[in-house]
Amino acid sequence: MNSSLSDPAFWSRFQFGFTLTYHYLFPQLTMGLGWFLVYWKWRALKTGDEKYNQAVRFWAKIFGLNFAVGVVTGIPMEFQFGTNWAGFSRYAGGAIGQTLAMEGMFAFFLESAFVGALIWGEKRLGSRYHFLAAVAVATGSWLSGYFILVTNAFMQHPVGYQVDPQGLLGIGSFRAYLLNPWALIQFSHNQIAALVTGSFVVTAIGAFYALRRLHPVQAQLYLRAGTFTGFIAALLVAFPTGDQQAKMVGRHQPVTLAAMEGKFVGGPDAGVAVIGQPNVAARRLDNPIEMPGALSFLAYGHFGSYVHGLDEYPTNAWPDNIELLYYSFHLMITLGTIFIVLMAYARFENWRGRLESNTWLLWVLMLALPFPYIANTVGWMTAELGRQPWLVYGLFHTVEGYSKVVSSGDTLFTLIGFVGLYFVLGLLFLYLVGREIGIGPEEVMAPPGAEHGVTVIRPREEHLV
Amino acid sequence: MIAVWYAIVSFMLIIYVALDGRSFGAGMLHWLVAKTPEERRQVIAAMGPLWSWHEVWLVGFGGTLLAVFPRILASAFAGYYLALFLILWSLILRGVAIEVGGHIDDRLWQGFWDFVFVFSNFLLAILFGAAAGNVARGVPVDADGNFSMPFFSNFAVRGQVGLLDWYTVSIAIFAVTALAAHGATYLTLKTEGPVHDRSSKWARYLWAATVPLFLAISLESRVVRPDVVGRAIHNPFCWLGVIVILIAAGMLISGLSRRFEMRAFLGSNFILAGLLTTGGAAIFPVMLYSTLAPENSLTAYSAAAGEHSLRLASIWWPMGFALAVIYFIFISRRYMGKVSVRRDTQGYY
Repeated sequence: MNSSLSDPAFWSRFQFGFTLTYHYLFPQLTMGLGWFLVYWKWRALKTGDEKYNQAVRFWAKIFGLNFAVGVVTGIPMEFQFGTNWAGFSRYAGGAIGQTLAMEGMFAFFLESAFVGALIWGEKRLGSRYHFLAAVAVATGSWLSGYFILVTNAFMQHPVGYQVDPQGLLGIGSFRAYLLNPWALIQFSHNQIAALVTGSFVVTAIGAFYALRRLHPVQAQLYLRAGTFTGFIAALLVAFPTGDQQAKMVGRHQPVTLAAMEGKFVGGPDAGVAVIGQPNVAARRLDNPIEMPGALSFLAYGHFGSYVHGLDEYPTNAWPDNIELLYYSFHLMITLGTIFIVLMAYARFENWRGRLESNTWLLWVLMLALPFPYIANTVGWMTAELGRQPWLVYGLFHTVEGYSKVVSSGDTLFTLIGFVGLYFVLGLLFLYLVGREIGIGPEEVMAPPGAEHGVTVIRPREEHLV
Repeated sequence: MIAVWYAIVSFMLIIYVALDGRSFGAGMLHWLVAKTPEERRQVIAAMGPLWSWHEVWLVGFGGTLLAVFPRILASAFAGYYLALFLILWSLILRGVAIEVGGHIDDRLWQGFWDFVFVFSNFLLAILFGAAAGNVARGVPVDADGNFSMPFFSNFAVRGQVGLLDWYTVSIAIFAVTALAAHGATYLTLKTEGPVHDRSSKWARYLWAATVPLFLAISLESRVVRPDVVGRAIHNPFCWLGVIVILIAAGMLISGLSRRFEMRAFLGSNFILAGLLTTGGAAIFPVMLYSTLAPENSLTAYSAAAGEHSLRLASIWWPMGFALAVIYFIFISRRYMGKVSVRRDTQGYY
């Protein structure tokens, strides 16, 4: 990869990677949190217990801030297809444009029409409609995930397309395109990973309140719901979805799998390196500690299976940054494993009735907050770096896709603009979310005189807009 | 088929302009119609929880454009590179200003975000107006269907054109005026008290100002693109647009003078729709006119995706649009009436 300042393809890639990575920090929480809101609202309707409504009110504020930043950082993504990837848009727009448009019409319209009702509409709408608004928003966010993943799956494993006389792509079979097996597996893996993020965030805030000895009822609710969902989601994200995802890469992108694992030489009984650094110049893995046969088993189901090595492919077919790909993949696996252990231990402590009182565990759960974001990010880096050097796998190279009329300087200029704007946006987001967490959920308190059966709701600071 | 898709894509753009135009207009007039912090909250509350609903129509438009006319999106967005990023950054700032301004009840904080709100909406109205002017005037599309051009050159409309010249600037001035008038009409409908009275006054002034400006840009367009007028008079949709504008102007005038605010606002929407219909029909089928050589121009027919893809898109588009209509009914019912800014309730809208 030519990464000099004058290479427009590199800067377009870097810009898209940066804006997309930043953008995805927000939807992954809305997709994960959406179903928590649905569940709590449903519990509130069923039981009439006010604590569930308080949880919904509190998390709807966090959700709203996330949603807003998700919207404003998401709109540039669609436009960058045209501004920086004109070659790709011209070539594949007839196919991938369909799902991008459908995402707008079926998912964004639904989400954005109801998100206001979810955040501000509880009193105006009544509980039942408020519940429906929560369902609409959660459904919209997952639908949007599906359409984007169909688009991405097409780039990873193009199916259902046809080539028109000018050599441009269109859709041949809508069913094959929309039900791309890659999309189905990637969607399950990615959505459950979003649930992991949602669970860890809910748990972390619960742990924070528990450590602070604030809002005990809410803290318990967040800790229990968060660790329960977190444990199940952390298991499912590894098996079967992550496992299936890796098998699919092995089947359709064997050279990518070799690079992810740092397999420079192919062979049977391939192991998984627990530790080791790829040394691309010397074409070997330095200082590896391997679990023998594990890769053969994980990728193909038998310990003796033959795993292709990078040596079987010409170097120009290799993903163009093997080191980064290797580290991303291995970091994702490591974090995923830690998540399972941590959440299993939290559930064990909950079973023993010590979840809210085990200070060490609460500290770890609170500080674990950023790690699912990291795991999601390196997971996507694995997928996208692994796809290289192709933009549409096997059909269209990345270097053919960028906008020829846009200079590297223009792209670098707008990239710097995004970095600055997003830095400020990030500060603002953290400040406002931190403030909401500081204010905390409103609580049913037992004031002096509660023996007369009076409950007073402590008013929380009100917000305009 | 292709003409129908051209109409659909234009229609989505019209909806976007009519919806988000409220925000552009209200944003530009923010300091003029609302003087106190409470009044300014009223204006923001009129945008409030719906700005993202308005903004996603731009996403719907962009996605549909990519699906149906991929070559237009590829050429135009890359060609308008820097201007497009200014639009994107303004959209980010505008959304953030609406969303976070009210989060903290502090004069300085809200004053700052009010400034961002005004600034970004102004920039958006100017840039969208200039973009429309560029589509009408044409851009230097080469034989491969690509173009790139400077922000401004010597302000000439022929030869080496820039993004801003006297023609596109006058279109931008017209767009600023019309969108401000649209926003004022919307605020008249949605607000009470002093904000309402000032908005109503501004709506009259601004709509009156659009008339001479419209005549001016019509004459300019005739000079800049003489070929268009000859074709336009044979296009029934141009006449449809003109009729819509005339009826809508009637609705607007009677609505504003007799305080039928909903009628005035509908008229305002239809004027924008009529203007864009006339413009869109007049240039059809050329979507990006080449100032270098007319044969380089990208037309709806040369830029469209394959027949089969278009057929597939015509399956899901009506479904998506039907759902959008349902949401629209829900939203209209829920957010009907004047906005109220009260601190003692959970809902502010």
